[in-house]
Amino acid sequence: MVECDFPECTTFGAVVRFSIELEKGAAGVYEEFAKDPAAASTAALFTELAALHKKRMAQVENMRQQKLNEMILEPIQDMNRELYLIDTRVPKGADAKAAAKFAMAIEDTSSRFYVDAAKIAKTIMAEGSRFMDKMGKENLAIKTKLAAL
Amino acid sequence: MALLTEVQKNYGKLKNYVNGEWVDSTTDKWLDIENPSTGAIIGQVPMSTVDETKAAIEAANEAWWAWRETPPIARARLFFKLKELMEQHFENVARIMVQEQGKTIDEARGETRRTIENVEVAAGIPSLMMGYSLEDGAAEGIDEDAIISPLGVFGAICPFNFPAMIPFWFWPYAVATGNTYIVKPSSQVPLTMNYLTKIVEQAGFPPGILNLVNGSHEVSDTMMEHPKVKGISFVGSTPVAKYIYKHSAENGKRVQAQGGAKNSLVVMPDANLDRTVANMLASYYGCAGQRCLAGSNMIAVGNVADPLLKKWLEGTKKIKMGYGLDESVNMGPVVSAKAKKKVIEYIDGAEKQGAKVLIDGRKAVVPRYEKGHFVGPTVIDGVTPDMTIANEEVFGPVVSFMRMESMDDAIDFIHKSPFGNAASIYTQSGRSARDFRYRVQCGNIGINVGIVAAMAYFPFAGYKNSFFGDLHGQGQDAIKFFTDRKVVITRWY
Repeated sequence: MVECDFPECTTFGAVVRFSIELEKGAAGVYEEFAKDPAAASTAALFTELAALHKKRMAQVENMRQQKLNEMILEPIQDMNRELYLIDTRVPKGADAKAAAKFAMAIEDTSSRFYVDAAKIAKTIMAEGSRFMDKMGKENLAIKTKLAAL
Repeated sequence: MALLTEVQKNYGKLKNYVNGEWVDSTTDKWLDIENPSTGAIIGQVPMSTVDETKAAIEAANEAWWAWRETPPIARARLFFKLKELMEQHFENVARIMVQEQGKTIDEARGETRRTIENVEVAAGIPSLMMGYSLEDGAAEGIDEDAIISPLGVFGAICPFNFPAMIPFWFWPYAVATGNTYIVKPSSQVPLTMNYLTKIVEQAGFPPGILNLVNGSHEVSDTMMEHPKVKGISFVGSTPVAKYIYKHSAENGKRVQAQGGAKNSLVVMPDANLDRTVANMLASYYGCAGQRCLAGSNMIAVGNVADPLLKKWLEGTKKIKMGYGLDESVNMGPVVSAKAKKKVIEYIDGAEKQGAKVLIDGRKAVVPRYEKGHFVGPTVIDGVTPDMTIANEEVFGPVVSFMRMESMDDAIDFIHKSPFGNAASIYTQSGRSARDFRYRVQCGNIGINVGIVAAMAYFPFAGYKNSFFGDLHGQGQDAIKFFTDRKVVITRWY
């Protein structure tokens, strides 16, 4: 299991932290699958996706550092944490197809999170909104890639 | 949600930074530095002596001329280096701030960003401090030039509410323009500036250019009275700002002294209430109401009062208090037990004068942080212009809800205040907005913005009892404050 600590989305910083946990969780899940001999045929793809999610995590942290402005720290009250939790209990011995199905659920939830976060960010940070929107679209692209396995 | 890790549990006994060296104070007076969220003692700060302060002034003065001769572009290079290092230390700076001041991590990250922005602006000094020339400006064949020159040693006396940003409103501009500097951080929150000074040292600023002297009024008085100090910048309460202004001026210094505030946010009947409430929540409760730009009086104009109050109460009830290193927390404690007592006394006083406390933060307790100085978000209805709470600075998360008939009434009320730091209007009417910004006598005006905090490239200060001086902090005003104009008239035979 990949340990994640998802906060309540009550502040923009908490939304960003949630996003970091999503990326950390996804990267960890792909790393576990890549190591599992049962999914050996897709190990390279899973390694690549783990690296991609780590890169995204660094991008999120950078966005927080560069864009967060204390003038726009309005409380956030419309994001229900429970809707975006991902399952990071990686099943052992899953073959490539089962692993892909498991990962697709993560990408799908993450995408929904980013789409909703982008809507919230829109009122306070245009560039942050665009960034979140792009992240959500990328999740869907990964999901499509996984579906083809 | 797990807490973010503290940078250090305890920072020990702090040192002063003088002439490029970290030196122990010889004082026998030390103050504990308290984490206002947990009540834990996280370090000790010296109340440095008069002689230690004088030594810092002498060091700054000795370093001045060589620094003044350093080309502006070379000085700017150090600020670029400093900016790069501050980005690397960004998260640590923010977390130390949370630990010693109590604000939330997002607020601290926002402050760290604004701190860096001042360094970024100061790095543009070769363009910012250019003088001007006019051929034949004096007469035919006689040219006239105005040269912008630094003056020597300057100092800042800083408050507790913005431990990083406020010293950086001043010293980067002073040093970039070729002066040397002494910062006295607030003895309640000295850790952040202590950490930032280590970054300044790492960036390679020569010895004596920036000096850090911890302490109390003895340090401040010595700076104000010393003949080698050319000017003082101050941010704090109005009575102290008045004293600093008077005492520094008596000793022939330049002064910019920023005082207290009592900011009114006016909500018009045509305001977008959802957006207005979200924005104002950050203004009234952000930094637990301890910003000099925080909303304090909420003035509802006409029939907006009841729907506004309903939404406001709903929003207030959702504010989550706690230790700011929990990223889901909206609001931290006030800075000290003394500050908490003062805020509670204002709420008690309002009740005694006939106002009604709708949401009461006086007995707020945050589980696991029972020793923290928490005051819950408080909403007081029925506040009238004659009440103490409508007129004095509370510096806590307290909303004085007032009802008025018209914008004119609101502006009249704002103008009766001895303070003039900030005022905001929430409206969808360009006409009302224009009228408000034109007429209101405050240094910072918000149109649908509740925290009117000038960016680094704009000047910041208030009017009336919120500011004593003429040139404001930051931006071009800062360049002017730290320099003088020298006119040269040239004729060659």
